[in-house]
Amino acid sequence: MVLLLLFITLIFPPRVQAYLDPGTGSYITQLLIGSLVGGLYLIKVYFSKIVAFIKSLLQKLSRREKPSS
Amino acid sequence: MKNRLRKTAEPGSFRDPHGFVYYHKGSVYRQVHPEYATVFSRIEKAGFYQHLIDEGWLISYQKVSKKSAFDHRATLVLKVKPIPFLSYPYEWSFSQLKDAALFTLKLQKLALTHDFSLKDASAYNIQFLEGKPILIDLLSFEEYRVDAPWVAYRQFCEHFLGPLLLTSYTDLRLHKLLRTHLDGLPLDLVSHLLPKKTYLNFAIAMHVHFHARQQQQFGARHHADRHYRLSKLSFMALLDSLESPITKLTAPKQPTEWGEYYTFTNYSPKAFAAKKKIITQYLRQSKPRTVWDLGGNTGEFSHLASNQGIFTVSFDTDPRAVEINYLMVKEKNEKHLLPLLMDLTNPSPDLGWALTERQSLIQRGPAELTMVLALIHHLAISQNVPFEKIANFLARLSRHLIIEFVPKADSQVQKLLATREDIFTDYHQDHFEKAFHHYFRILEKDRLGFGSQRSLYLMKRK
Repeated sequence: MVLLLLFITLIFPPRVQAYLDPGTGSYITQLLIGSLVGGLYLIKVYFSKIVAFIKSLLQKLSRREKPSS
Repeated sequence: MKNRLRKTAEPGSFRDPHGFVYYHKGSVYRQVHPEYATVFSRIEKAGFYQHLIDEGWLISYQKVSKKSAFDHRATLVLKVKPIPFLSYPYEWSFSQLKDAALFTLKLQKLALTHDFSLKDASAYNIQFLEGKPILIDLLSFEEYRVDAPWVAYRQFCEHFLGPLLLTSYTDLRLHKLLRTHLDGLPLDLVSHLLPKKTYLNFAIAMHVHFHARQQQQFGARHHADRHYRLSKLSFMALLDSLESPITKLTAPKQPTEWGEYYTFTNYSPKAFAAKKKIITQYLRQSKPRTVWDLGGNTGEFSHLASNQGIFTVSFDTDPRAVEINYLMVKEKNEKHLLPLLMDLTNPSPDLGWALTERQSLIQRGPAELTMVLALIHHLAISQNVPFEKIANFLARLSRHLIIEFVPKADSQVQKLLATREDIFTDYHQDHFEKAFHHYFRILEKDRLGFGSQRSLYLMKRK
């Protein structure tokens, strides 16, 4: 966790200007959460696509198996 | 809008240097300053504002001549659709705050898909119009900068997530903290007050407990020269990680005094129907355009006004009753009823900077008609407020008044007196009429009948 934090805080992205004080601690928190849940979110968004892909793959495989049987 | 001829700046609109709201001749305007005008035009040209307006998610506006500007700083002047009653987060029920939170996240997700982003996530930017949340700040969006984190993440957590978690996990009454913390609840306070079991919930552990620690750890450190990078995918994931737990939150089912009020009322069905008939008649006679129902409970009698198309605010001190009322408004898609939390013995005061940033209940009035039904005994006996003071306060709130007098013989009053000494020798109908006659003319008076000793009055302020 500490290493991950250090890694994140050493990244150099574009400067943000805002009338709100975003807070350094809040920035670090969102970067950490974003990186932790980013993969899961990707799976969630593309879940239906992944399921459809797997289904089509299985169908193709079953078709190939049929002639041999 | 007190002085309708002079331009008056909205006292709560000053923090964002990109522009502000002002009033003139009963209309609402927003002037946009040069540093934001190009951003505004780009977002407008992209069709994003129009899309939001079409969906009813953004307050509608029209561009008007710069001659209408408040001062020389204006590059653009927008005439904005007025909101019939400005409400504040500390006056919302649990589900109102929850819906406002989810609505803010929905806007931000949508904005990101169009390469825009919310530069603030203040709960005060959301109002309830025709029963639904709507964004009233036309300057809230900015262009999305590639890999820039969410500037308003902290504000969202403090304005929405923290208060929602506290009321859901700890106590519904903690919503009152929003009145003392106008810029949201400090996350270390939220973390401290939440039960320990919330550490086991990943979203709460990270967005609140870990977040609070990080704020304390980095709070004093200068960050201006340090830059942070958050990919758009991670940004969307962050929003999703906020949305999921908020969606699952529910108001605690703790029993409150008034949540079941109409189940335990002492009316006969005929007296109940008679009461509704008399009130409907009074409303037709006085023809108000705005009604405030004080002590409106779950809105049973507020509907008599709102169903006639009269904009009605139904106030009650009980968070559970207001919650039930709001959920019914949502379910029935009611457009003219706004349920709000309000303790009449301690109503919303003037608050914030110079005591003008957030207006008191009186400042937001007067209503054209106020209904005070089955409430007088609670104010006079439970709260020891003399009739004269009640009459004086109500005269400051509205021009017309529909008020119900509940005599001492009524079982509800007897219930209030059961546990205390009856020191209320002045609590009788003659004294009530005398006290109110000082401020009001009594236009109508009707005995409820059907076994009830209660009386209804229609009064007009002198």
